[in-house]
Amino acid sequence: MLALLIKRMLTAIPVLLVVATLTFFLMRLVPGGPFDADKNLPPAIVANLNAKYQLDKPVAQQYVTYLSRVVRGDLGISYKYLNRTVRDILGEAMPVSLQLGFTALVLAILIGVPLGTIAAVNRGSWIDVTAMFLSTAGISVPGFVIGAFLIFIFGVWLKVLPVALWETPWHMVLPSLTLAFSPAAYLARLTRASVLEVLEKDWVRTARSKGLSRWATVIKHTLRNALVPVVTVLGPLTAILITGSFVVEYLYAIPGMGRFFVTAVTNRDYDLIMGTTLVFAALLIVTNAIVDVAYQILDPRMKVEG
Amino acid sequence: MTASLNTPVQEPVKAVSRVELAFTRLKKIPSAYIAFWVVCLICLLAILSALGVPLSPYSFDQATDDLLVAPSLNHIMGTDELGRDLFARVIYGSRLSIAIGFVTAGVAFILGTTYGAISGYCGGKVDTLLMRGVDIAYSLPDLLVMILVGVLVGKGTFGILFALGLVSWMGTARLVRAQLLQLKEEEFIEAARAAGQDGFSIVMKHLLPNAMGPIIVALTFTVPSAILSESTLSFIGLGLSAPECSWGTLASDGWRSLRSYPHLLGFPSLFIFLTVLSFNCLGDGLRDVLDPRTRLFKG
Repeated sequence: MLALLIKRMLTAIPVLLVVATLTFFLMRLVPGGPFDADKNLPPAIVANLNAKYQLDKPVAQQYVTYLSRVVRGDLGISYKYLNRTVRDILGEAMPVSLQLGFTALVLAILIGVPLGTIAAVNRGSWIDVTAMFLSTAGISVPGFVIGAFLIFIFGVWLKVLPVALWETPWHMVLPSLTLAFSPAAYLARLTRASVLEVLEKDWVRTARSKGLSRWATVIKHTLRNALVPVVTVLGPLTAILITGSFVVEYLYAIPGMGRFFVTAVTNRDYDLIMGTTLVFAALLIVTNAIVDVAYQILDPRMKVEG
Repeated sequence: MTASLNTPVQEPVKAVSRVELAFTRLKKIPSAYIAFWVVCLICLLAILSALGVPLSPYSFDQATDDLLVAPSLNHIMGTDELGRDLFARVIYGSRLSIAIGFVTAGVAFILGTTYGAISGYCGGKVDTLLMRGVDIAYSLPDLLVMILVGVLVGKGTFGILFALGLVSWMGTARLVRAQLLQLKEEEFIEAARAAGQDGFSIVMKHLLPNAMGPIIVALTFTVPSAILSESTLSFIGLGLSAPECSWGTLASDGWRSLRSYPHLLGFPSLFIFLTVLSFNCLGDGLRDVLDPRTRLFKG
């Protein structure tokens, strides 16, 4: 188990290197530099700024310098947020994003898994049809529409919840709900398919014929097996949450990584883009490694190839 | 033996093409059948609009004196801050949104099928190498890649198509590869090879046609996800922007005045939702109909 985890962590290094390389050269290929948008700076000042941040050196040299800095844990400085290092910014933004993402994940599981289970158990009934229509609708609504809808109802119309920033627990309600919406729908569809498959197994019939009630069969004998594929989608789910965070943090003006990434791209804030992308990639790799290990614990028959 | 001689000669069974058969089966799934017609209707609107057929009393960029009016008989979806009729703009925007969906699916089909076919047919080391590449790219969130690439190519329609195309083919490639790995072990492939056919014609004539069902299903899901991605990118200001007009840019414009004029966000959003929902329902139905891995009907 530990060997697998270590192996996964080691394979993460080349992946992160590929991601860093691609992002680095992609960014430098983009026309425009970080100081272009500033209020018509004289060319001499721009040249000075470029020299200060070593942006006048050849790209290959910048790349080597950057990598050697990152290895030493120095992610560079932001060109837009004065006197702030990328590490400072990410250090403040990451807890916010993790909090938001984790709350949304828990919400999505609490909504999606029961919904999918109830639909599967009542296969073909109106409950199933309604639940499946809701979840298909759920994956068809853009995140910004959900967000705008919630803001309009709870913020503008009822005026009961705050619609921006990230301060009290009340500020977390609408963003988390918005972010949880599409993963919840995705989980409901997946859980339904998985539970349906397990319900046809022989041991479920045995449990029923022993005289166990329908729900006891579902909870004790079906769900445990049906949830294995659900655990494995935690990787893709993290990707969905990261994607969602770009929109949700933009909508609710939350100072998280998603918003910093979007503004950094617009500002050509090179080091901040690199830092955010690397953190996102690392987050995904760690999640996938945890999923692989969890998979083996849940289903010892599975031998994951390392 | 004798009994069969006395029975009247049976009419030869009329040959049913695969498309006809699939369509007959699709009719039995109500949600998919309705979705099919909604998709047709929306595509028809987009095509007519692209051909310049006037579908609304106003043109998309015609400024009237009614600024920011709520939906009424005169303007069924209201107007924006320049007095432009929102219905006309939503219809006009459909052509860009729908085109982006279909072009992306086309790119996914060509790139994904080629890549997947090479990987699946060659197998071995080529396969391992090609698929490892896909694995790395696939593990990154689509929107992250799209934002980075989209900025590189530029914010226009071409930039967004490039970015969408770049992330959308990987799913198809994986699918085609998996199908081919399975199919190439079948006996009819061995027979084709024994008959002297070369690799290219085996892939084109025998392997791909047999994998078409799942490919079509996957492409049906590519269209709505491209439409969603475009609108999301445009919404956060990293996709299309004025003077381009898509459902995404309309929604993005509407967001700024949500508090006072919710119709400006509401109607474009409704069209995005209906289109994406229809494609998703159609895709679900097609999967039941075309994909041999799922059981057709209960029992």
